Amino acid sequence: MLEVQNIYMNQQSPIGPPRGFRDILPTEARELGVIEQTLSETFADSGFTPLYPPLLEYGADDSVRRRRIQFLDSDGSLVALRPDLTTSVARLVAGRYRDMTGVLRLSYIAPVFREEPAMSGGSREILQAGVELVGGDGALADAEILALLAESLERAGLSVCESTLQVGNIALASGLFAALPDEVRSVVLQALRQGDIAEGLKSARDAGMPADQLEHAARALTGSEGGVEGPEAIELCRAIELARERWSGTVRAWGIPNLGLVPALPYYTGIVFEAIHPDAGVIASGGRYDLLIGAYGKPRPAIGFAIDVLQLHRALFAESWRPRLQRPLVLLRASADERATLRCAASLRAGGLAVALGDVAERAGRAVIAAQVIDERLVKLDDGRVAEAATLGREIGS
Amino acid sequence: MRPLRFALAQGLLLNEALAALRAIGLDVSGVTPGGRRLVVDGGEVEFVLARPSDIATYVERGAADLAIVGKDVLLETGARVMELVDLGFGACRFVVAAPRGAVERSLDEYRHLGTLEVATKYPNVAERHFRDRDIAVEIVKVAGSAEVAPLVGLADWIVDLVATGRTLRANGLAIVEEIASSTARLVANPASYHLRRREIAPLVEGLAAWAAAR
Repeated sequence: MLEVQNIYMNQQSPIGPPRGFRDILPTEARELGVIEQTLSETFADSGFTPLYPPLLEYGADDSVRRRRIQFLDSDGSLVALRPDLTTSVARLVAGRYRDMTGVLRLSYIAPVFREEPAMSGGSREILQAGVELVGGDGALADAEILALLAESLERAGLSVCESTLQVGNIALASGLFAALPDEVRSVVLQALRQGDIAEGLKSARDAGMPADQLEHAARALTGSEGGVEGPEAIELCRAIELARERWSGTVRAWGIPNLGLVPALPYYTGIVFEAIHPDAGVIASGGRYDLLIGAYGKPRPAIGFAIDVLQLHRALFAESWRPRLQRPLVLLRASADERATLRCAASLRAGGLAVALGDVAERAGRAVIAAQVIDERLVKLDDGRVAEAATLGREIGS
Repeated sequence: MRPLRFALAQGLLLNEALAALRAIGLDVSGVTPGGRRLVVDGGEVEFVLARPSDIATYVERGAADLAIVGKDVLLETGARVMELVDLGFGACRFVVAAPRGAVERSLDEYRHLGTLEVATKYPNVAERHFRDRDIAVEIVKVAGSAEVAPLVGLADWIVDLVATGRTLRANGLAIVEEIASSTARLVANPASYHLRRREIAPLVEGLAAWAAAR
């Protein structure tokens, strides 16, 4: 024992996990489990089937490498902890499903990993729950996935209000700069992806974009009524209204057209959306990516979203959400007769109760009932009452 | 929901930032440069005063919704924020500077010794610049007065932020090359910007018009 301790002491390694990673203990894990279960049921209700892409993918020396956690494999190849699941799904669809031309409905709940600068407080492990609809095309597919995101958040317990969901469109945002040559337009879009609207508009002005078009673009990207006027806005509103048809007037209006929404990820080609909460920031994002699968094989239209489960939990917590109560846990003190103790525990469980022999220190907010075994059929509760083990579950339940 | 929180950089930009905000009709009378109150109620907007480099952090992490901050700070911190308006004031440049007349000598040193020592308060900007140029340098981080470094033999060159260049000249330094230019920017936290766009947009429109009219 002493020797084992010495080994650990000599290493002098820090006792916590590496920067940007953390332990999730039972109180939090139980709440996350409830959220995950709701989300996977909601996904399944729309016909999505779970899959598990691998933790590691090949890395690359490209412009986003600094955001990936990359290292060398034992054979010398560059590998990365997957930075998102959409790319993994696109890769596996192009490979494993290359001969299947029909529609795929795939879902996942899994962590992804992103590099964060030290001291920024950023987490490097992000738990994502999402869906990808591959082969789904057109306004109907857009509306279905947007509505599924709204429903997923709502079923998880979030109050979805008008501004929670922001809806933009990369093709329409790019269309604002249709007058510019292709290479200037891609410079402008790159600035917008980085959130630098000022630089994007400046590049367009320097390239000689006519003043009236420039003003229209500026209004659409930053104006108060931006997105609610002009032909682009009409198209965005149509997408939002179609998505709301799922509830046909029974829910609060949600969704704001917002052409300024240009996500950093470069693969979006059409509708894009984000769910934003005042306390947790961006809790989900998604959109149409019709060209991504083509980068790995045959091109196929596709749309999906990913919910950041930990941020959703943060938003729910801010709204005083707590998971539904579990059945109480019986902490059963053994009697001298060990066989009777085990039989008594089995009888309590058969009656619908959760039972732990002895005490449990980490209760994760769970209600507990202390009880003493009298014999295999009877227990004595702390208030002195004697109860039948087989029927105690029903008494408590009622 | 709490009022919009607007962070302002204490220091060189503050007076002009206040003038711009006053010009678009915000009540900034409670904000006193050099004063002790760091959180000031301004009606629909709450002002927070902080060091420039902290402001980028405030906005990136959503502690403040909006801020006026120099592009130089954004370049050095790499903060992920939305840049909405180039306000035009507070112009300055990141430059590489060396002792006047010593550029040839240091280049000769570089040929023989293979590396240059560069002192700077802005290690990220400096590192990125020399990596892009494929020049091997050792970055020496200093907390202030980088222009002294070549005089005392701490470094061959410096990377510094200059407005007029007078301090460089006073210390016998000359500009070798320009890295980037900077002006004050109106920035926003991305989530806040989308979520509270109806409140933020009039400020963006007002400040854009104010900047264009200057």
